[in-house]
Amino acid sequence: MTDENEIIPDEAKTEKFEAEFMPHLEALYNFAYKLTQNEDDAKDLLQDTSMKAYRFIDSFEKGTNAKAWLFRILKNSFINDYRKKSKAPGMVDYQDVESYYNSDKGDSSVEITVDLRAETVRDKLGDEITIALNSLDVDFRTVIILCDLEGFKYDEMAKILDIPIGTVRSRLHRARNMLKEKLAAYAAEMGYNR
Amino acid sequence: MKNLRTFKRWLGRRVWPDSVRCPEEQRCLELARLMLDEESTPADDDYVLKHVEGCYQCYDNYNVEKEIRTAVKRRSMNMKIPQDVMKRIKMKIRSA
Repeated sequence: MTDENEIIPDEAKTEKFEAEFMPHLEALYNFAYKLTQNEDDAKDLLQDTSMKAYRFIDSFEKGTNAKAWLFRILKNSFINDYRKKSKAPGMVDYQDVESYYNSDKGDSSVEITVDLRAETVRDKLGDEITIALNSLDVDFRTVIILCDLEGFKYDEMAKILDIPIGTVRSRLHRARNMLKEKLAAYAAEMGYNR
Repeated sequence: MKNLRTFKRWLGRRVWPDSVRCPEEQRCLELARLMLDEESTPADDDYVLKHVEGCYQCYDNYNVEKEIRTAVKRRSMNMKIPQDVMKRIKMKIRSA
């Protein structure tokens, strides 16, 4: 366990960064790209995150989950720096969406069951999957990316996102419902729904 | 032979009319999602597996969930970090 007050010399810091964090930079870059949906922003976000990780490397405990630690820094940078910049006036805030879905009004809409067949998803929907995922609000998109693409467990996602596990679970459930609804709409447009 | 077996299993499942949804659909879907995320309890798994064995609607929902996960993974591009960005990061941390 690293002593909190231990000061690591720069050379050791660099070595620790290269050993612990370098292997995760590609996953981190992909996460940045999926959040920002812009290559330049993803590059900047990756560099900012790397520099922050380097600066605070003393607080990283060796042997703990480096990937989750980096994803958490990136997510915070994204919220604090990029999201504020890119948020256009009038855009719906996720908190509003979540409050709506957590209200009685929202609950009834959650019960709507989307009728979509497995074969339709397998054989007929291709790029629509990417389009549908990218069109989700960033908070809903994030939980699907973390869970399905990066394979994080719910408790790790809770730490990365700074939310309780119960919220991870419900947000993921709603995100999957929304994704399914979008895919069902595509399938219906293509004439493949029952 | 395999197809015949599959067909017989399909026949054994309860098929609901289009206008009627299985009353356990929401519960089954929630637990199936936990199961696919490997976050379920053995009791959850047991419930889902038994239920989808007997209900075509939930069996189809379960397969849709699996297919969407597979499709999301398959369609997700894995981007390489541009060389110049990688160089810049290495340079910055080595000169920090």
